[in-house]
Amino acid sequence: MLTLVKLLQSLVKALHSEGTPGQLAAGLALGSILGLTPLLSLHNAVVFALIVMLNVSFAGAMLGWALFVPVGFLLDPLFDHIGHQLLMHTPALTPLWTAMYNMPVVPLTNFNNTVTLGSLVTSLVLFLPFFYLFRWAVTRYRATIGERVRQSKWYRTVTASKLYNIYRLFRPEA
Amino acid sequence: MRIFRWRAIGPLLVFTLLAGVLWVLLADRIARRAAEEIGTAIVGAKVEIQKLHIDLTNGDVTVRGLTVASPHEALKNLFQADELTADVAVLPLLEKKVVIDRLAANGLRFGTPRATDGRVPGDPNASVSGRVMGEARDWAQRFQVPALQLATGKIDVGTLDPRRLSAIPAAGALSARADSSRRAWQTGLDSLRLAATIDSATATLTRLRGARATDLAALSDARRAIEQLKQARGRVTALERGVTGGLAALRAGVAGLDSAKQRDYAFARGLLKLPTLDAPEIGLALFAPSAVAQFQRALYWTQLARAHMPPGLLPRAEQGPPRARRSGSTVRFPREHALPGFLLRTAELSFQLDPTAPQPKRYAGRLTGLTSDPSLYGRPTLFEASAPAVTAGAMLDHVHATARDTAGATVQGVRLPLIQLPSLPIGLDPGQGTAQLGFALRGDTIRARWAIRSTHVQWSRDSAAQRSTGADLLWRTLSGISDLQVDAGVTGTLSQPRLSVRSNLDAAIAARLRTMLGEEAAAAERRLRAEVDRQVDPAIAPVRARVTALQTEITGRLAQQRARLDQAQKDLESRLRELTRIRLP
Repeated sequence: MLTLVKLLQSLVKALHSEGTPGQLAAGLALGSILGLTPLLSLHNAVVFALIVMLNVSFAGAMLGWALFVPVGFLLDPLFDHIGHQLLMHTPALTPLWTAMYNMPVVPLTNFNNTVTLGSLVTSLVLFLPFFYLFRWAVTRYRATIGERVRQSKWYRTVTASKLYNIYRLFRPEA
Repeated sequence: MRIFRWRAIGPLLVFTLLAGVLWVLLADRIARRAAEEIGTAIVGAKVEIQKLHIDLTNGDVTVRGLTVASPHEALKNLFQADELTADVAVLPLLEKKVVIDRLAANGLRFGTPRATDGRVPGDPNASVSGRVMGEARDWAQRFQVPALQLATGKIDVGTLDPRRLSAIPAAGALSARADSSRRAWQTGLDSLRLAATIDSATATLTRLRGARATDLAALSDARRAIEQLKQARGRVTALERGVTGGLAALRAGVAGLDSAKQRDYAFARGLLKLPTLDAPEIGLALFAPSAVAQFQRALYWTQLARAHMPPGLLPRAEQGPPRARRSGSTVRFPREHALPGFLLRTAELSFQLDPTAPQPKRYAGRLTGLTSDPSLYGRPTLFEASAPAVTAGAMLDHVHATARDTAGATVQGVRLPLIQLPSLPIGLDPGQGTAQLGFALRGDTIRARWAIRSTHVQWSRDSAAQRSTGADLLWRTLSGISDLQVDAGVTGTLSQPRLSVRSNLDAAIAARLRTMLGEEAAAAERRLRAEVDRQVDPAIAPVRARVTALQTEITGRLAQQRARLDQAQKDLESRLRELTRIRLP
């Protein structure tokens, strides 16, 4: 229940943040990488650093992560298949994988795991489509029902919580 | 709009620092749990570590209190080690490769007891150890080990299926033939029309009695009637000939029923599960389970080594790491002249073989070249241990396409494990003795030998087991034997292995078996013969009676008809002679 409340809080805050639709969409798209791929992978440390360092919506990224974790679980068989095809059944890529496997640091990313590679490739391929889709969706939301939600009592309750203060530290800068 | 959020650098650094501190605090624990999980997955039994410490600055890893459970025995450890100290190369860790330049293992103890079952039932479809365990188990079940049934002194009488007895269908067929013959002969008799011929002859005789010698017509009729009677007798003779042949065939059929019954006795004797009385078979029955268990274990470890140390440089997939998400497969891409994923260059082992002895002896061994990529390392894995009374060595050569694995060990003066003789209420404690195991697997060609020698054998009798004369006799035979020599061997291929077992007990047991099982075997055979009789006789007896009755009936009827013909002819001829006073030709 608490998770659901927090998810709702993130959603509301993200949609009504001062950030532009593009910043929110970039955060969501980066968060989708965290959600779609196995979390404890080295590439996710890079993605997390990008979320923190780039001027994108942090709340959007957390929201994207939370939204795409169950999707990742559901699509694992597909990721496994994609990774298997890329690693085992694409001879043209074998020299690349061999070079990467014998390179320092790169093997720590678990790129040679079928689920990790399949999910990472899928999330990277979907990154731009997600970005444009989310940007269009946020723009439409703000232009239609966003203002009415902002005036509602429960929105003010949510934004008044202590978590909101922490969030403000990472809110996108105009 | 700015791209970077510079003020987030501080929190990011703090986060990174926090992660670093957590790593320092938890690295040992994480590594210990990872080592336990990986070890458990590889061995197929619980691997437990009391303490693990990583010192990356010096490249040292220290493991204390290592316990590896046996995947084959529930309450036994494969080995325990007091301390393992490894010099780990640090730079290869960046490539996720573990290269141990030197490992010192102290206080290794083999076969120690444990309180809980350490076996991990692996899924044959998901884990390598589970698959290999299943394959080794299947392989061990290929051996047909004869059962030695002495515990109850009973000989098993198999089920006698009446459908498999030949006399019953033969009796049915003969019955049908008898019915068919009876119908054919009845038809033959009817077609002779003897009654009409005899009636005609009787009428002629009546007329002849009133005729004179000059009544040529009457004389001519009489001669014609006599001729007809002769022809009828000829037909009767022909029918008689056919009947005689048919009856002979039916009698032969009845005799055939007796032969079929004899065959059924022989078949039933085949159902008697007589204990083997040959010495080599007795060796198999007594010691094959123990020997096969040794070979099965050796095969398990060899196949496990082949699975984790495969030859060649092709990419190969293995089960991914256990996690909440799907594990997937992790693919390794070995490259020539690169480091293997795992390499243990040298290990110095210090171990005890009989830790429960009052003064356990310490031995030393050396292991070199243990690697996950033998083709990259280019040399086989070698193990050697030698000390007074101990010689052990192993070579895992997976450098080339055809793997060659050999291992051999001879241990003298150690306490040999208890042996429970299968199906016998007798236990065998070899005491201290010599054990030898040789195992060679080249491709899928296996050659293995297991032998034990002891001169102080102790026998024990299971007091809870049911007592029997046979077991008593055998106990008296065995309990007087103090030496034990068992030699077992496996040759052939993995798909078609051949097992042989010999022991010095074989001949003694065989002689005793012959004495005590002779009378019981005869009694069991009598029981089976009675059962055959019970099932076959109700089918045979009616057929036999029917054939006899048919023979009596048909021969009687034929004789009767022949007699009537003869009498009619005789009367006619007599009257004719009176009239003509001449003898007819």
